[in-house]
Amino acid sequence: MNTILKIIRLSKSFGGLSALREITLEAKQGQIVGIIGPNGAGKTTLFNCLTSLYYSTAGQIEFQERPIVPEVAETKRRLIKRCAILFFVLGLIWVPLFWSSFVPHTFFKVEVVLLGIFILSIRLLLVRGLVRFQIWAWGLMFVFLISDLWFAIWWLTHLLSSGPMIGTGIPLCYFAVPWGIIAGPFSIYLILQLVLRKVRQLYGFRLGPDAICRLGMARTFQNIRLFFNLSVLDNVKIGFHVQIRSGVLGILLKTRSQRDEEELTEKEALKYLRFVGLDGRAFDLAGALAYGEQRRLEIARALASKPKILLLDEPAAGMNAQESSELIRLILKIREKGITVLIIEHDMKVIMNLADNIYVLDYGVLIADGKPDEIRTNPKVIEAYLGGGTAHAET
Amino acid sequence: MRWQLYKKDPRFIFLSLIFLAVLLPWLPLGASSNYILRILTTAVLYMILALGLNIVPGFTGLLDLGYVGFYGIGAYTSGLLSIHYDLSLWVILPLAALNGALWGTLLGAPTLRLTGDYFAIVTFGFSELVVLLLRNELWLTRGPMGLPGIPPPSIFGHPLTHDWEFFYLILLLLMIVLLVVTRLQDSRLGRAWFAIREDEIAAQCCGVNLIRYKVTAFAISASIGAMGGAFYAKWFKFIHPDMFKFWESILILCLIVFGGMGSIAGTMLGALILIPLSEVLRAVLPQGLFNARYLIYGLVLVLMMRWRPEGLVPFERAQAKKAKLARERLEI
Amino acid sequence: MESLLDQSSLFLQQLVNGITLGGVYALIAVGYTMVYGVIQLINFAHGEIYMLGAFLAYTMVTVLGIPFFAAFILTILICACFGIILDFVAYRPLRNAPRLAALITAIGMSIFLQNLALMIWGSQIKSYPRDMFPAIFLKPALSIGEVSMTWMQVFMLSITVLFMVILHLIIHKTKIGTAMRAVSQDKTTSALMGIGVNRVISFTFAIGSAMGGMAGVLVGLYYNAIFPTMGYIAGIKAFAAAVLGGIGSVPGAMLGGGVLGIAEVMGAGYISSEYRDGISYAVMIAVILFKPSGLIGRQIGEKV
Repeated sequence: MNTILKIIRLSKSFGGLSALREITLEAKQGQIVGIIGPNGAGKTTLFNCLTSLYYSTAGQIEFQERPIVPEVAETKRRLIKRCAILFFVLGLIWVPLFWSSFVPHTFFKVEVVLLGIFILSIRLLLVRGLVRFQIWAWGLMFVFLISDLWFAIWWLTHLLSSGPMIGTGIPLCYFAVPWGIIAGPFSIYLILQLVLRKVRQLYGFRLGPDAICRLGMARTFQNIRLFFNLSVLDNVKIGFHVQIRSGVLGILLKTRSQRDEEELTEKEALKYLRFVGLDGRAFDLAGALAYGEQRRLEIARALASKPKILLLDEPAAGMNAQESSELIRLILKIREKGITVLIIEHDMKVIMNLADNIYVLDYGVLIADGKPDEIRTNPKVIEAYLGGGTAHAET
Repeated sequence: MRWQLYKKDPRFIFLSLIFLAVLLPWLPLGASSNYILRILTTAVLYMILALGLNIVPGFTGLLDLGYVGFYGIGAYTSGLLSIHYDLSLWVILPLAALNGALWGTLLGAPTLRLTGDYFAIVTFGFSELVVLLLRNELWLTRGPMGLPGIPPPSIFGHPLTHDWEFFYLILLLLMIVLLVVTRLQDSRLGRAWFAIREDEIAAQCCGVNLIRYKVTAFAISASIGAMGGAFYAKWFKFIHPDMFKFWESILILCLIVFGGMGSIAGTMLGALILIPLSEVLRAVLPQGLFNARYLIYGLVLVLMMRWRPEGLVPFERAQAKKAKLARERLEI
Repeated sequence: MESLLDQSSLFLQQLVNGITLGGVYALIAVGYTMVYGVIQLINFAHGEIYMLGAFLAYTMVTVLGIPFFAAFILTILICACFGIILDFVAYRPLRNAPRLAALITAIGMSIFLQNLALMIWGSQIKSYPRDMFPAIFLKPALSIGEVSMTWMQVFMLSITVLFMVILHLIIHKTKIGTAMRAVSQDKTTSALMGIGVNRVISFTFAIGSAMGGMAGVLVGLYYNAIFPTMGYIAGIKAFAAAVLGGIGSVPGAMLGGGVLGIAEVMGAGYISSEYRDGISYAVMIAVILFKPSGLIGRQIGEKV
């Protein structure tokens, strides 16, 4: 069995409060991995980090041996931040140059000022994106850097051949020279990085929750998040979103492929509803379902995106004994399809019956992991659940 | 069997209504016929606008207060293109729609990351800026003097002059918009929008890229608005910056709130009831008070939110009906 | 040299005007910011309360013949009551409804009130009679060279600062202020702690509206022109000020109002007077886009 998900020393802190501290976790293909712990232990936070709803502060997540949140060392992060700010400052210099060279003597013309503010604003936005490792920011930055480079060359050649272009009183070359010296090499360096295609590993682009889903990680929520005003069938159809491709034009022209896709979606959605035992209610509104049914619908919706790994956040919460034993059967059936399942659960009967491997969190720290039987007898786990200060006093 | 299906299908009702509308100019209504036609043309125009706006607050759940900005952009695009270049209507309409979509994308791409309240305010600011630009950029728009003398549209070389011709033209536009909107609604795109409206986080976790789909919604909405504006300029033959003030946005918002946000039938019903009512009020109220019509719109917004927030034709009911249709389709 | 002096005195005069205007924006912005802080609602109708303030004082002075200062205080009281009624009628029933519903109601109320005023007072621009306030108001209080500041401006600024200080004390030193801060954190928990949430919200509306009404009278005095649509633009600008300072924070509203007032006057003076309103909108859009938490606000994240 090969490892499908690997979390290495993942940390997450909110301001000063650290919710997860260096969690390391592994899930093998086809396993059911349980995550337990008292309330507030950071289990849901872990799921949120996995699905990119939160950005983890440090650590690495590998999904199918591909890093989806690569590790970014703190020093590198700081370096990037500095570069980003430098980049903004370059813009600060560039914009007045731009003003003065294109529209002399009308420094305060509305359009020009607005244009300048616009350019600076975009640069400011970029800095934020760069620091947060958002891919669009990096893409847009290259556009800016190339234009910067072009502008530097243009300006410097003018400067060398005929002196500064405008006589506004400020010797603009003082700005231009350091700017040319810094911006040029910086741009070249970054462009090289892109060409070498190493930049991805180097700077760790973040994937959004939708991209994570596309990769094959689907989840359910602790407090049910269905689309309550839509029909059950439509809920599952939305799950199919990443499986189908039709775009605006295809939809408007109602092309053949689009129609086929719609028909297929409908059939497949009904199939998934049958799988979770909701085919009888396919045409009701999701809000009209009973609690247990809503939980199952959430699972069906997650399954519809054909995930390789399914994250279940307390699926048995609020279920009676019969419903939860049905749920156990359902989860086993999901496993038979070859889907790895990560499950957070408070109901010990469910988790001990299902899980191949259990990880125990307490106050954001991983305190134990192992087979269910080992966990059952682990003194640290018992202490975390039952409390008692003795163990703390000893350590 | 088939007849039964038709009876339940909302499309059938639309079709029969449109059939009625086509007959309308030829009904013996006497002298007031043209007046009634003009009112109905306005109502249908607002139906188009409301259908366009509905995409943003109705389908994706974001309050867009700047819709009239796109309406204005469309109207001025159409007016300027026909005055300076004398283009045909069939060139102007798509160009206006494209221009609207362009501005929609430009405005939407950065602002749609915001939460609902801030988005509402930014769109409001946008529409005010559009009015300011229209008012102050004299070289382009002639500012407060307005843009008079827009040539009427012509079809196969025959310029439209009669009221019934414009009425048919707007009916045609309505059909196109209706087709676009219903197709979008029942597609992957529409489902993604509904998902965003219902729960953004769950939608993201189902693989819906929030920004992309919101921007798409905004751009499509803007282009429909701009198309409405293009028709308006051609129909009214005179446009002025003050026609595109914030009030119009509120009026259109009022239509969809009244009819039922997110439901296409409701939106159209809202326009069909409120616009003629407003025109009647315009005639009935004394000269100084005719803006007091807006008082009623305000009241409609407040009362609807208080007593019937889902509108005349609730979105959920439309969804339930759609599901019922789907059941019949699949079980036949 | 001469022209440089002229330039700088012009600049200073603009600065003075900007600060005065900013004070008014701050007064209105407080209403937005407090209501938003407590129930996360942009109270669009707040601008209308400001307009009503101006008209109430006008009516009292011209029709009922009440002396100006009495009318001023009465207006403030009536506006406070009006805020409470507004909350009770329009927003309280929607406390648990989706935010979109409350927002639409707020817009509806705004339109309704504005057109009501239009029906009552007509659309003509009205001005306060010259003899209704002490003549000294129009005389310069201090003037250095070309730059002067009238008693009116002094009066406006001092009232603004005074009430801001009072407000700050209310929020941070009194029991109801503590309750307000608690409600802004979590309504349900506050209710469980024995705080009358509705009472606190009413109080918030009352204070915000009182400030709004006061601002209305002051602006009516300052520009000597009141009209039913005045609330709509001023309201949005004040909202911009609230956002600029950081929505939910009272000192933020003060700062934001000041900055926006100065930016507007300077922009109108040096860039383009046609785009006077546009400057506020542009500032607002820029702030919302790039720093939605404002200058001294805090970021609020959504809980998953």
